[in-house]
Amino acid sequence: MNYSETLIDHFRNPRNAGIMRDPDGIGEETFDGCGDLARFYLKVVDGRVADVRFQTYGCGPTIAASSAGTELATGRSVSDLLTLSERDVAAAVDGLPAERLHAAQVVAGAIRAAARDYVARRTGARGTEAKQHV
Amino acid sequence: MNGRVYLDHNASTPVHPEVVAAMLPYFGERFGNPSSVHSFGREAREGVEIAREQITNFLRVSKDEVVFTSGGTESDNLAIKGVAGVRGAGHIITSPIEHHAVLRTCQVLETQGSAVTYLPVDGDGLVNPDDVRRAIRPDTILITIMHANSEVGTIQPVDAIGAVARERGIPFHVDGVQTFGKVPIDLDGFGIDLLSFSSHKIYGPKGVAGLYIRKGTKMVSVQHGGEHERRRRAGTENVPGIVGFGKAVELRAREMEAEATRLTALRNRLWNGISARVADVRLNGHPTRRLPGTLNLCFRHVESESIVLGLDLKGVAVSAGSACTSGNVEPSYVLVAMGVPLDWAMGSVRATLGRLSTDADIDYVLEVLPPLVERIRSVSPAAVS
Repeated sequence: MNYSETLIDHFRNPRNAGIMRDPDGIGEETFDGCGDLARFYLKVVDGRVADVRFQTYGCGPTIAASSAGTELATGRSVSDLLTLSERDVAAAVDGLPAERLHAAQVVAGAIRAAARDYVARRTGARGTEAKQHV
Repeated sequence: MNGRVYLDHNASTPVHPEVVAAMLPYFGERFGNPSSVHSFGREAREGVEIAREQITNFLRVSKDEVVFTSGGTESDNLAIKGVAGVRGAGHIITSPIEHHAVLRTCQVLETQGSAVTYLPVDGDGLVNPDDVRRAIRPDTILITIMHANSEVGTIQPVDAIGAVARERGIPFHVDGVQTFGKVPIDLDGFGIDLLSFSSHKIYGPKGVAGLYIRKGTKMVSVQHGGEHERRRRAGTENVPGIVGFGKAVELRAREMEAEATRLTALRNRLWNGISARVADVRLNGHPTRRLPGTLNLCFRHVESESIVLGLDLKGVAVSAGSACTSGNVEPSYVLVAMGVPLDWAMGSVRATLGRLSTDADIDYVLEVLPPLVERIRSVSPAAVS
């Protein structure tokens, strides 16, 4: 399997990995039939993402896409993240082989879920979306 | 360590330089068709027959009991379809951890009216010979059990299974692709009637293999055409490949025993080193009844492919137990049949040692693997929660 240098770099040196205490939003996504799981934590200041953390179980590309996803999300407005696409995430690792596109799907889904969770908390909706799968 | 570490010898091996040298003339001046009457043909025929002798000497069988094929898969197909074809359909006994060449051939025969019993294996991957005995029916036409499993390396009690087969007069096929040239195979003592064996697992070229067929075994041919291989396998012989295969077997005969001892020690050092340095790791396969160079491990909370990629980036080649195709990760069917829990089975990694493997290789893996597993676990939610 040929992976981009960017992907390899994120896999080797994952950015922003780990748990976040008192996040403003948490989102999770799993991939059916694969078992990959990504969880994203957001810290939001003035509607923009100030800090992101991820925890991921999965193959190399999914771990790399998670790391790249944190960089993609940092500084963005939450409303932007609500519509974050797989394509955005795949582009952040300079592309994925067709057989590994699920990596971008899991990560984009988890980031969108975290953004929705933030919005839900702000609007007073009960509970979190941490367990919701898109 | 010469820059890269190859720990995937069960997948394939590098062709031995002496094998390459033996093959070269058969691409050049000895290019003839072994079926031709003229001197060019005779030279090629001679190459094929010398190789047959090298192999039959090693197996201690007569020259008309070995048929050359294109690979282990073809040998398995020929053995199973060849025996089944005599009666058209019947009952076959096998195990769920066979190579796909056996499993899928059995599945095809099931669609054509045959019945197949897939015997269970225990936690170490062993078939119980008593289960074989109990599974036999009046219409059982074949028992096919592998000698050693390529993933976990467990060596089956083929001698005890062969005794059951012989007692009941049922042909016994053994897929010996992973054991041939690595551990002793006593065809008479084990009661084996058909043995598949391959070249590229023992430092010979790819695209050539053999099937031992005990004299008197009733079979039909599967591939039809000319009169090659005593009409048991039509098609012009892969002369350079067969010549190389013969040479590879001759070389193995000399070094097999010492190499098995050396690889067992190296493999055990690798396992002891890993289990001392990494938590939550388990060994798959039988602890002792196992191929000398095979080490199959499960790392909990880690997906195998991430280890394979991480090690590849460090120049170390191992293989993943679970296969990811189009985002679908299937845990190894072998580990599943052995009852390995799913959260472990997803993190299975196979390292298989061979002629290339050195002590320095093991040192290097023990240096790079533990921090890699640690790093992957550090980003995993499963390991944290």
